[in-house]
Amino acid sequence: MPSLLIVRLKHEVDAEWFVRVIYDWRLARVVDEEDQIIDELFWNRVSTKNLVDRLSDLQSGRITPEARTLMERFPDAEKDSLGALSYSEWPELSDEETKKFIEASTRLAKRGVAESSGDIDRRMDMLVSANNEIRSSWTTLEARCIEWTGLFLSDLDLDEQRKEIPEIVSRSKSINDVANEFNVSEPKHQPSEEEWNTINTQAQLVVNLANQITSSEDTIRTIANDYLPSLSALMGPISAAKLVVLAGGRERLARMPSGSLQVLGANAAMSAHRKGAPPPKHGAILFSMPAVSRSPRWVRGKVARYLAGKASIAVRIDHFDGEKLTKEQVSEIHKEAESIKMKFPKPPKRK
Amino acid sequence: MGRRKPIQLAWGVRKEGRTLWTRNAVKGVSVRDERRKKDSRIEWRQWEPQKSKVAACLLKTKLDPSRLIPKVGSTCLYLGASSGTTVSHIHDHVCGSGNHHNGQIISVEISPRMMRDLSKLCELRPGLIPVLGDARKPTVISPYLRDKVDWIHQDISVADQTKSFLNISEIFLKDDGIGLLSLKAASERWIEGGDDSRFKSAKELIESNSKVELIENVDISHFEGQHRVFVIRKNCY
Repeated sequence: MPSLLIVRLKHEVDAEWFVRVIYDWRLARVVDEEDQIIDELFWNRVSTKNLVDRLSDLQSGRITPEARTLMERFPDAEKDSLGALSYSEWPELSDEETKKFIEASTRLAKRGVAESSGDIDRRMDMLVSANNEIRSSWTTLEARCIEWTGLFLSDLDLDEQRKEIPEIVSRSKSINDVANEFNVSEPKHQPSEEEWNTINTQAQLVVNLANQITSSEDTIRTIANDYLPSLSALMGPISAAKLVVLAGGRERLARMPSGSLQVLGANAAMSAHRKGAPPPKHGAILFSMPAVSRSPRWVRGKVARYLAGKASIAVRIDHFDGEKLTKEQVSEIHKEAESIKMKFPKPPKRK
Repeated sequence: MGRRKPIQLAWGVRKEGRTLWTRNAVKGVSVRDERRKKDSRIEWRQWEPQKSKVAACLLKTKLDPSRLIPKVGSTCLYLGASSGTTVSHIHDHVCGSGNHHNGQIISVEISPRMMRDLSKLCELRPGLIPVLGDARKPTVISPYLRDKVDWIHQDISVADQTKSFLNISEIFLKDDGIGLLSLKAASERWIEGGDDSRFKSAKELIESNSKVELIENVDISHFEGQHRVFVIRKNCY
């Protein structure tokens, strides 16, 4: 059996004619204005594996090998990928072909699901969201750990020594050990042994979470520096990653107007604005930049607007493969932001 | 205390009082923990209007609901299938157990997370075909179709959804075919006024299209806040 069955129905074709190459995954046909078939090519060795690739190619607008061959024979022909939809007497699929087609469509869908793990946007979303969650649980647990220790050790300075408390509680054998380590008086009422064990484990949890935050932030930094080099250089890798996650992907951030980027993460303020409140000046991420948060409030909006513009250029560079922002350019941007601050040393007069 | 007699809306779809039921094509299995019940040897699965906009639309329509349901054994296009709750009920009706009606439902979904559940459902239910891709792009859908479809439902929430619905309907919907478009007020561009004005642009867009006719505008906010279903019919030439 020949690998390609070629049925030539008409040999001489006038180049002036308007012809179309109609194709689907199995068949490509050249037809003229009167829907007469001039030439056709079947795909004969239908295998489910190749069919998966074909369907995927067709979906992304590519052409089948049969259609390509026909296009070479009829270079002036118009392409039409609708197959049976465009031509009323399109041959039916055999049972065998139908079976393979159904099998292939399920496989293609599953392949797409599996391929989504290759999407850096999705991976960054998981990393950043996990990091946010770990950080928020750390904040709660850490506060509890401090208060808990403070309940027993009344002389302990909870502000000055806050940072050391979880670490020391986690590696001590008893509450008295903790007291000795900090050089404060032992508690008036001792916790029971079980109670101390709970305090101790809780403190260990705090320490472990702190380590976890450090390592997951390192991971985010590595990925962001690689995936968003310019934006990371401008805003710091963590903020860059957070912006992309808030926008729902790098492409979406790159296509976003800088005004939207400026207020990313200011959800509550934005919805208040819709109800009549003044517009937000900046979102959570831009505010975390010192140039914005350390400025007097009357220039924050101006600085945020300026930086949002530059950030939006930076992410476009990253997404559309531009030339990475250099260190000089980044420091120039920061200098410019600083000079905006200098221009407005005094708050505007109230009207 | 006699139960109200069920009204048959179409093959495998019936209404009992205010509840809808479809004849379960996969016996003993619920898709989203919905209620099942036996009536002699047939198992029925409750079609919850809170979870399915099509069900809500069937309960709220002022027309004959059976007009809005696809025909048994027809080809349907479902854009924005999500994890397949509604799709499974359409499948109960269009394909039936083991696809003995020989119907086909092409269900398009863009999110891999949703497709994960949907593709599992498709393996249980022959006739249901999963397509992972952007439902606004005709090339994503066309390789799966061998003929125009009889019924379309679109439930995606993106900008320009009305425009893409009309575009897809023009290309893929048969003459006289029925199209359902689910719209959410919140995903329309924000403008002054109530929900009505937000749906106005969608309505105008549909009415200005000569290839389709708007036959009903169903308010389903009773079941699903701020939602509307537009029912269209493709004009014949």
